Amino acid sequence: MGSLLLAVRLALANVRRHPAQAAMLLLSVTVATATMALGLSLHGVSDALYAHTRAATAGPDVVVLSGESGPEVSAALASLTDRPDVVAHHGPYRIVYAELTARGAVASPVVVHGFAERPGPVNRPLVTDGRWVRPGGTVLERGFADALGVGVGDRVTIAGRSYPVVGIAVTAATSIYPWGAQIGPYGGPSDYTGLAWMTAADARALARSRDLPVTTAIDLRLRDPAAADTFRHTVPDDHPVRVFRPTFRSWQFTAQHDKVILRNAQPILVIGGWMLGFLAVTGVATLAAGRVAEQTRRAGLLKAVGAGPGLIAAALLTEYLAAALAGHALGLALARLALPVVAAPTASRIGDAEPTAGAVVAATVLAVAVAVLAALGPTLHAMRTATVTALAASARWPRHRPLLNALTAPLPTPLLLGLRLAARRPGRAVLQACTTATTVVAITVLLTVHAQRERGYGLDGSVALPNLRGLHDRRLMLAITVLLVALAIVNILTFTWTTAMEARATMAIARALGATPGQVTTALSAAQLLPGLPGAVLGVPLGFLVYLLFATGNSVPPRPSWMAGAALGTLLATAALTALPARLAARRSVARELAAEAA
Amino acid sequence: MPGAVIRARGLVKHFGRGQSLVRAVDEIDLEVAEGETLAVMGPSGCGKSTLLHLLGGLERPTAGEVWVAGRRIDTLSERALAGVRRRSVGFVFQSFHLVEELSAAENVELPALLAGCSPREARRRAMLLLERVGLAGRARHLPSRLSGGQRQRVAIARALVNEPLVVLADEPTGNLDTAATLEVLRIFAELRAAGQTLVIVTHDERVAATADRLVSMRDGMFVDDTRLAAARPRGLGGLLWPED
Repeated sequence: MGSLLLAVRLALANVRRHPAQAAMLLLSVTVATATMALGLSLHGVSDALYAHTRAATAGPDVVVLSGESGPEVSAALASLTDRPDVVAHHGPYRIVYAELTARGAVASPVVVHGFAERPGPVNRPLVTDGRWVRPGGTVLERGFADALGVGVGDRVTIAGRSYPVVGIAVTAATSIYPWGAQIGPYGGPSDYTGLAWMTAADARALARSRDLPVTTAIDLRLRDPAAADTFRHTVPDDHPVRVFRPTFRSWQFTAQHDKVILRNAQPILVIGGWMLGFLAVTGVATLAAGRVAEQTRRAGLLKAVGAGPGLIAAALLTEYLAAALAGHALGLALARLALPVVAAPTASRIGDAEPTAGAVVAATVLAVAVAVLAALGPTLHAMRTATVTALAASARWPRHRPLLNALTAPLPTPLLLGLRLAARRPGRAVLQACTTATTVVAITVLLTVHAQRERGYGLDGSVALPNLRGLHDRRLMLAITVLLVALAIVNILTFTWTTAMEARATMAIARALGATPGQVTTALSAAQLLPGLPGAVLGVPLGFLVYLLFATGNSVPPRPSWMAGAALGTLLATAALTALPARLAARRSVARELAAEAA
Repeated sequence: MPGAVIRARGLVKHFGRGQSLVRAVDEIDLEVAEGETLAVMGPSGCGKSTLLHLLGGLERPTAGEVWVAGRRIDTLSERALAGVRRRSVGFVFQSFHLVEELSAAENVELPALLAGCSPREARRRAMLLLERVGLAGRARHLPSRLSGGQRQRVAIARALVNEPLVVLADEPTGNLDTAATLEVLRIFAELRAAGQTLVIVTHDERVAATADRLVSMRDGMFVDDTRLAAARPRGLGGLLWPED
């Protein structure tokens, strides 16, 4: 207990001494775990929202739709209710295909379900605002109403007739907006379509007024809901309904179909989460490496006063683990807040969205991995160093590179110093290159996502009603790119400052020998830019590769000029970002730096 | 003083403020003639090293003027000061301050490269100077593989590579044993004989005894200024670049 307390106290003291480092670790782990938890929770949350909506609306196990209408069709559909495995039903009911115009401008295809004023035992849409259908009034599906920007009390025009919107409701009998139609007129394919309800009489009158296409459906509840997927196969070929080419939609199909809108969201979030995790490890590992000498001296001190390996490891790792776990908790809290918006781009479903258990476990593993990967090397180095050596530990001297020194000798001073600085820590140069490549990939993908042509949800593909899936993908990609760029910026500043601090003795000597502050500033910037250059070049094909992974037949490939622009822009931003810490480091007093080195 | 390589007037350097104010250098006037070897002695913390830093442009004075080779340097920009350090001043530090990942020859040639010398010429000068200080056989050695005395000799060679007007040495034997001290003294004696202007801050009476002039410092001020030896012939006398 005493040892644990000591480890915690040492960790807290370290956090107080290095608040910026703790903040950086917290920030990195928070964004990485939040993104990862969001990505891994999406499908689970979609299922949960569907299940919640289904329970709240007495959702059917199977919806049987026919592309035709009339008494024979209704009779054939109704005969399904005689089967022993059907325990309840709603319908048959009429589905009318029309055009809806809201606010005098926004037009969309719509299907109108003719329902009773008192809903039956199956498929009882849940009214979330206003009231249920009444003669002369219509109820709009919530996701559709949201997209239209229409609420209770507004008026909409359906097939030329004006109706007041008397209510807003949700149902589990159809897929989420904009896939409310399920089948098109006469059983053909359907376009992006919203859903509205009217009384059965109003729906009939609407259909007759303009001779609109009509289909028929019936909602069934089965004795065994799990058998809904196979129900279609149990209807014999000589059953009357087979004459009318029925379409069977099980609740499992509808639940799965809800995820279509998230098709790209999950890879965006999961891959984004991994990339953010990588940048987090990179930045924190660089900071940890910059503190190797300090950690080694601390380990030596602990050894000298009798601490064992366990306590030393705990003392050195606790700081990182504590900050990572705090970031993890914060990340999960943020994921929980963002999940309803991210997992349900339409308002067609109800219920609470919580991160799934699997996502929480994965995010925890990620947070611990960031802390351990970042701090393990320095910790092991500190533990392995002999006590006396550890007590006098100083920064590790880089290797002698005679060939590099000879090759750089004719170069101008900033390049001479910059190349030699970059070569001092080759591992860090690789991480710098990877950071730049990651940034270029993210920006390239973002530009590509924004360049895709999308069919809007309005009439004839009009973008007056935006494509929610595309919009959702673009927003998520923008958010991920912003987070990636933010972490990359933090990393670049960290790389530059750590390099400057490690090389301060060498740079002070160079200045004492006649290098100007400007030359040292440029050298420090060059030391970051030089590894970034291959990273930017590598990022271009990698960005194209990511595009190919998600490209479909009609995808627009990224333009070479965009990719080149992303690479060049990233390098210019890197140069600008390194300038400030490099300048600050280069303007430190030479005499004091040399005195500190001698001490 | 005509021919003064270094001149300081009313030189003041304060650190801190209020009650924690330290007057490291307090109203010092100084002239160092061309070819003169000046030793500065005094107890620890009396301001010797700070004075040396001010004379070499590593620190800016709180007040007063510093002139190097007839050019006032205390008002120069950092960029121009770097130029003065490149061309006119060579530094030798108590802790050597060699770049640890560079070999002895690479350390010596570094100031020449910074001054725009071609790599071939920089290496030629470095090898020549290493030979002069008796380290030609250690040219490829890293500082970590050299003794303290050898490191200091590399540092002296580095200070001389750009043919500075003045070499400023801060406790050059402070970290050395007797044998190494004697070796460094021999080099300084050769430089003095060759007419190299030297300002040496030291605790070591043996080092001070090799100077033309000795000033004593206490509490940031000169308390004594003594001429020790007669003037000698001026000019480097072919010590550095006999082949040129």
